[in-house]
Amino acid sequence: MTREPLPWPEGVDRIVLDEVDSTMAEAARRASSLARPTWIMARHQTAARGRRGKVWSNPAGNFAATFVMKPGGSPASAALRSFAAANALFEALAMKVDRDALSLKWPNDVLLNGGKVAGILLESTGRGGVIEWLSVGIGVNLMTVPGDVGRTDFPPVSLVGEGGEACDGDEFLSLLASNFATEERLLQEFGFAHIREKWLKHAARLGEVITARTSKGEVMGTFETVDEAGHLVLLTPKGRVTIPAADVYF
Amino acid sequence: MTNKSHDDDVAFIKSLAELLRKNDLSELQVKRDYENDGSLNVRVSRISSVSPTTVQVAAPAAATAPAAPVPSAAPAATPEDPAAHPGAVASPMVGTAYLSPEPGVDAFVKVGDKVSQGQTLCIVEAMKTMNQIPAPKGGTVKRILVEDGAPVEFGAPLMIVE
Repeated sequence: MTREPLPWPEGVDRIVLDEVDSTMAEAARRASSLARPTWIMARHQTAARGRRGKVWSNPAGNFAATFVMKPGGSPASAALRSFAAANALFEALAMKVDRDALSLKWPNDVLLNGGKVAGILLESTGRGGVIEWLSVGIGVNLMTVPGDVGRTDFPPVSLVGEGGEACDGDEFLSLLASNFATEERLLQEFGFAHIREKWLKHAARLGEVITARTSKGEVMGTFETVDEAGHLVLLTPKGRVTIPAADVYF
Repeated sequence: MTNKSHDDDVAFIKSLAELLRKNDLSELQVKRDYENDGSLNVRVSRISSVSPTTVQVAAPAAATAPAAPVPSAAPAATPEDPAAHPGAVASPMVGTAYLSPEPGVDAFVKVGDKVSQGQTLCIVEAMKTMNQIPAPKGGTVKRILVEDGAPVEFGAPLMIVE
């Protein structure tokens, strides 16, 4: 069976590996030698990882890739790609499942029927306040619900398990890379305001009470918006609180 | 919690002192509200060229506020102010500082470690973006000025490497 060539964005390279420890680790090793923005996809990861050492399980048939880019600018502006990545992943998944079943949780979690179908993790390094490279790691449960993730507040789900269309890694990479290129262009041409507006349209629990778990403790408040810096804005009984880093629960 | 807040307050005041000096201001007053309760009122002023900064800390507004660093903050903002130190490594963004790659593993560096230029010293996270902070030059880690998991402001000194 042959398949139509899959769409691929201009000016972006692609590396597909059968096996690697983690695509984030591979991205860090290769970043300085990459001439153009590059997606690194692995069919199998032996040491997949999530944020701050959280387990990320990557069974066969699921998706794991890291996009490495050199956007320049400050770390704060690079971090805005958290939202561009979430929008791109939302749109890629919406090609395969009812988009009304998808929602976004600050800053970059994509939920499918309220469950965790994907994870995004960004890493950057730089010097003198300027980014050298940024890598955006994206894992998606396309086929299989990981069984070994331990206790979670958002139960893991898979695209297929929630009634989505079956999709292999190559096809999903094509969808994701195309959508990411679109978001990146929007970010560059229209700035973060456009990305933010799009993100807020899909945000779960906007206007409702949510909990942000920060390193200092928990903050509970009404999810008012995401500000121009990408920070979470909660209205609490003590006033408005702006949060740059936290895990959100509801 | 109280200790952490105390350290945050100290770091905050240090960054104010630096701001004052850098911009050649004579006085700066800031009120900072905490997420949970209480607030910190700080006025930083320069009263002479010999002792460039003094720090006055007002009493916290709420009884339950984290202890404000009244006596200990003043010496920290004397000519020893780490933010003004030539070896200070500043946070390039607002976020949360992490001293180790993940919980439960060794810190990237400890005081006394020799580091080479570009070696990762710590991470500052904002919006699930882990920004690695490299050593701007080779040297020895003289001081670590933030706690693991502490919130940091833009420009806050993280470490001193010289």
